[in-house]
Amino acid sequence: MTAILEASGLTKIYRRGREEIRALKEVDFRVDEGEFVSIIGPSGSGKTALLNVIGCLDTPSKGRVILDGTETTKMKERGLVRLRREKIGFVFQQFYLIPTLTARENIELPLLFSRKGERGRIEEILDMVGLSDRGDHLPGQLSGGEMQRVAIGRALINDPKIILADEPTGNLDSATSRMIFELFRDLNRSGLTLVIVTHNLDLANQADKMYTLRDGQMVGCEMLAVPGNGADGSG
Amino acid sequence: MNFITLAVKNLMRRKGRTGLTILGVAIAISVLFSLIALNTGYEIELNREMDSFGAHILAVPKGCPYEAASLMIHGGVIPKYLNISDLEAVRSIDGVEVASPLLMYQFYKRDEATGQNNPHIVYGIKIDDMREIKPWWKVEGRFFEDDEKKVKVVGRELAEKENLTVGQVMPFGPHREEFTVVGILERTGDQDDLLHFLPLEEAQRLSNKEGKITTISVKVGDLGRVGAVAVEMEKIPDIQAVTMTQIMGTITNLTGSARSLLMTVISIAMVISAFGILNTLLMSVNERTREFGMLKAIGASGLDIGKMIMAETLIITALGGLLGTVMAVAGSTIIEGFVKGMLPYAPLGSFIHITPELVAFSLVFSVGLGIVCGIYPAFKSSQLTPMEAIRGGLE
Ligand SMILES: Nc1ncnc2c1ncn2[C@@H]1O[C@H](COP(=O)(O)OP(=O)(O)OP(=O)(O)O)[C@@H](O)[C@H]1O
Ligand SMILES: [Mg+2]
Repeated sequence: MTAILEASGLTKIYRRGREEIRALKEVDFRVDEGEFVSIIGPSGSGKTALLNVIGCLDTPSKGRVILDGTETTKMKERGLVRLRREKIGFVFQQFYLIPTLTARENIELPLLFSRKGERGRIEEILDMVGLSDRGDHLPGQLSGGEMQRVAIGRALINDPKIILADEPTGNLDSATSRMIFELFRDLNRSGLTLVIVTHNLDLANQADKMYTLRDGQMVGCEMLAVPGNGADGSG
Repeated sequence: MNFITLAVKNLMRRKGRTGLTILGVAIAISVLFSLIALNTGYEIELNREMDSFGAHILAVPKGCPYEAASLMIHGGVIPKYLNISDLEAVRSIDGVEVASPLLMYQFYKRDEATGQNNPHIVYGIKIDDMREIKPWWKVEGRFFEDDEKKVKVVGRELAEKENLTVGQVMPFGPHREEFTVVGILERTGDQDDLLHFLPLEEAQRLSNKEGKITTISVKVGDLGRVGAVAVEMEKIPDIQAVTMTQIMGTITNLTGSARSLLMTVISIAMVISAFGILNTLLMSVNERTREFGMLKAIGASGLDIGKMIMAETLIITALGGLLGTVMAVAGSTIIEGFVKGMLPYAPLGSFIHITPELVAFSLVFSVGLGIVCGIYPAFKSSQLTPMEAIRGGLE
């Protein structure tokens, strides 16, 4: 298995005045290509901090991150912008859709920044996230689950190497959450690598691998399934 | 999708706020536009009015202040008089080409339609002298002779207002004598359009001012000698000589303070509107910080965010500029009326001059206003690191 993401000795220190908060302490973390990884941990344990550092939204205080063969911890903002555009897809708890853009336009939005013209993929992506008939709806006309599907579609449009999702079901009820996880599973079956932070142990258990963070330290890694085998699970 | 459509969609999220900001810009731009139009038009119109007066020097009774002399140019009446003998004295001065006597008086007449008492101004003139001062005068019907009785010529606008026709006989003067309208002046575009012209003696008789005149308009042959002739005229005991240059100066002084007040108003309006835009922009930038974090996460660079904010600002100010210009053009007569009321001396003609250059200027100016106001919010939001943005930390 080739690693798509390799983080070693990651330390993140936030300074609030004189106080030092060690959000991450010497964390090692690895994700292989095609893997579906979940991260759980109590509130304040550093899950978001970890996701932001590996997603090039934040820089670690110490340690290094290698993403798809390039060491991101040494890169300048310009290079990071390109990495975020080309290799990473982000999904947030609060969806962050633009309310005056239709579902289709929200999904298209990253193309504006990556200056890619391939609009043909949009219908394909709408289909992938199960919104083929909802493309022209505004976010206000969609349910929470549908809005998150739009956000997932938006993360997919630039054809990323890896999807990072920070509590993507945090605002959704359990039935809808399960459906979103099924979508993640489907995407994973079609070859996408996923890292998902969640509070929900049931959902976290559906991943191939489950990491546990506590107090900024990686305290556990559980193998739940053989990567890539999810498809033939119950056949 | 492009940055413009994204900016438009973003602005549509707060329709009310966007609308009010656009309106604020529009009002500021329309004030700017109108006042500049007025200011340029004012000079042009003032010069035209001075030219249409035709004379180079005005002889007025001693003690008559310049201000009054200036107002007289369009029909202000002064309660002091010269004697007809002064006319001969002026005529005998070397360099005087034409000296045209004038007796002015005012009376009020009830307007049948509105029931209001309107002021009417009567000029008693020597017709040949006057026509030399105003060679452009043309008449429908004929001019009167100086020794004719009970005849008058009226201005075009007056004739239209009062439904007068050539040959019409009408009661006129304190004793309601039968006067014949022998001619109607062709439109001149100045105060003459509103006046009653009578032979000098008739005007003197009707107003009980036999042998009196109000002013003498003097034309000199050699423009270089205006000053010298004025000095000579002042030697006549009754007379104070006022040159057109002095009158222009007086009017400019009179209106100067009013006009600088207007300029102050423009500047304040601009500053208020600029701060209004800035405030709105900062507000909308602050409440969207987290969203900018999302945008960065999905691949936007700082420059992209800045461009988006700038586009939003420019759309607001460009639309505001457009609307303001349209408002100013459409409302120019109202604004002109308002400003005329404020100025101590306002030319009679319309003096709002709308030129393509001015329209272009106000549009460019509003875009400039947008750039000035947008630069700080755009810069500020482009400098946010994705982390700060996602945690919502602009403060
Ligand atoms: N910008 C910051 N400045 C100071 N402290 C911070 C900052 N960001 C995070 N922290 C601190 O770092 C620690 C880890 O935060 P993090 O957001 O990663 O937790 P989390 O595991 O995502 O929690 P939750 O489940 O509540 O989202 C917390 O103690 C938090 O207070
Ligand atoms: Mg978190």
